[in-house]
Amino acid sequence: MDKTLTICLVTLVVGVLNFASRVSFIAWFARNDTPPLLSRALRHVPAAMLTAIAVPAVVFIAPGTLDLSAGNAKLVAAVVAGLVAWWRKNTVETIVVGMTVLWLMRWLVG
Amino acid sequence: MRAHFSRPAFFEGVRDMLPMLMGIVPFGVVCGVGALSAGVSPLETLAMSLIIFSGAAQIAATQMIADGAPFAVIVLTCLVLSLRFLMYSAAMAPHLRLLDSRWRNLLAFLLTDQAFASTIRRFRESGDLRANASYFLGSGALLWVTWGVATLAGVLLGSVIPSSWQLEFVVPLCFIAILAPLLRDRVTIAVFVVAAVAVVALDALPMRLSLICAGLIAITCGVVADQWLSRRG
Repeated sequence: MDKTLTICLVTLVVGVLNFASRVSFIAWFARNDTPPLLSRALRHVPAAMLTAIAVPAVVFIAPGTLDLSAGNAKLVAAVVAGLVAWWRKNTVETIVVGMTVLWLMRWLVG
Repeated sequence: MRAHFSRPAFFEGVRDMLPMLMGIVPFGVVCGVGALSAGVSPLETLAMSLIIFSGAAQIAATQMIADGAPFAVIVLTCLVLSLRFLMYSAAMAPHLRLLDSRWRNLLAFLLTDQAFASTIRRFRESGDLRANASYFLGSGALLWVTWGVATLAGVLLGSVIPSSWQLEFVVPLCFIAILAPLLRDRVTIAVFVVAAVAVVALDALPMRLSLICAGLIAITCGVVADQWLSRRG
């Protein structure tokens, strides 16, 4: 397949798929009641999904290379940032502390 | 459309999304640089950003286009990556059901990891539908515009932000900023631990299936733990 055609088709098809996923339950539950078991499960979506997204970005230093040691600057920065976030509930403070720790670690460890 | 719009709440949404842009801009530039090296034109890159509107899917797709992967494989991988939107959609649905369908469709289009993370707490805590919807619109619209501009900058100008600054790390930090304050009861802490262990243990799965599988496993554990605790009294 021609490259430009591939790119256009991918854009359209994936665009439609993404919108379909995004609108799916929002449209469905506008017309139907949420089953009680499902609504209990949905309470856990933020904790489960935010963890599943954030953890790999912190513990893998390269694709497939896990580093749980104190030498992993991202891990140390994430733990400190997590404590600040837990205590302060503030996004800006969490970012500032996390990036400062990351840069300090890089500067100290080299 | 007007009926649900509140200007102050819209700008509150814009304001609260601003810190997240520190991570989104470098991430978008990286995504644009990826498109550049895959031979995707600036116009095509912009179209992908504005239509697909998902960094994970765009990076995967441009990488596979560069590698000459079959069309079906590219679409299947992006489909797997989009499964998490089903969960966000379900979690958002009870809060949006009273909106008219144009608003629901518009907000659904703008539903991303970041928009979900930054709005779900507000939706749970406040029942003011009009303000919540406008807040979501403000956050989502700013993110959409910024994402388009950042990826376009990447494909046109290359790596304008030095990678040694590691600003992409702001993206996980934003998720941590929302996640950590949730960890105040035993069940949520259990969900966190299970999701963290599962996503690492399942990392070898193809097409980043680890993300959706770890999420489902952790949610199931949360539901079981809730029932166990309530039965014990």
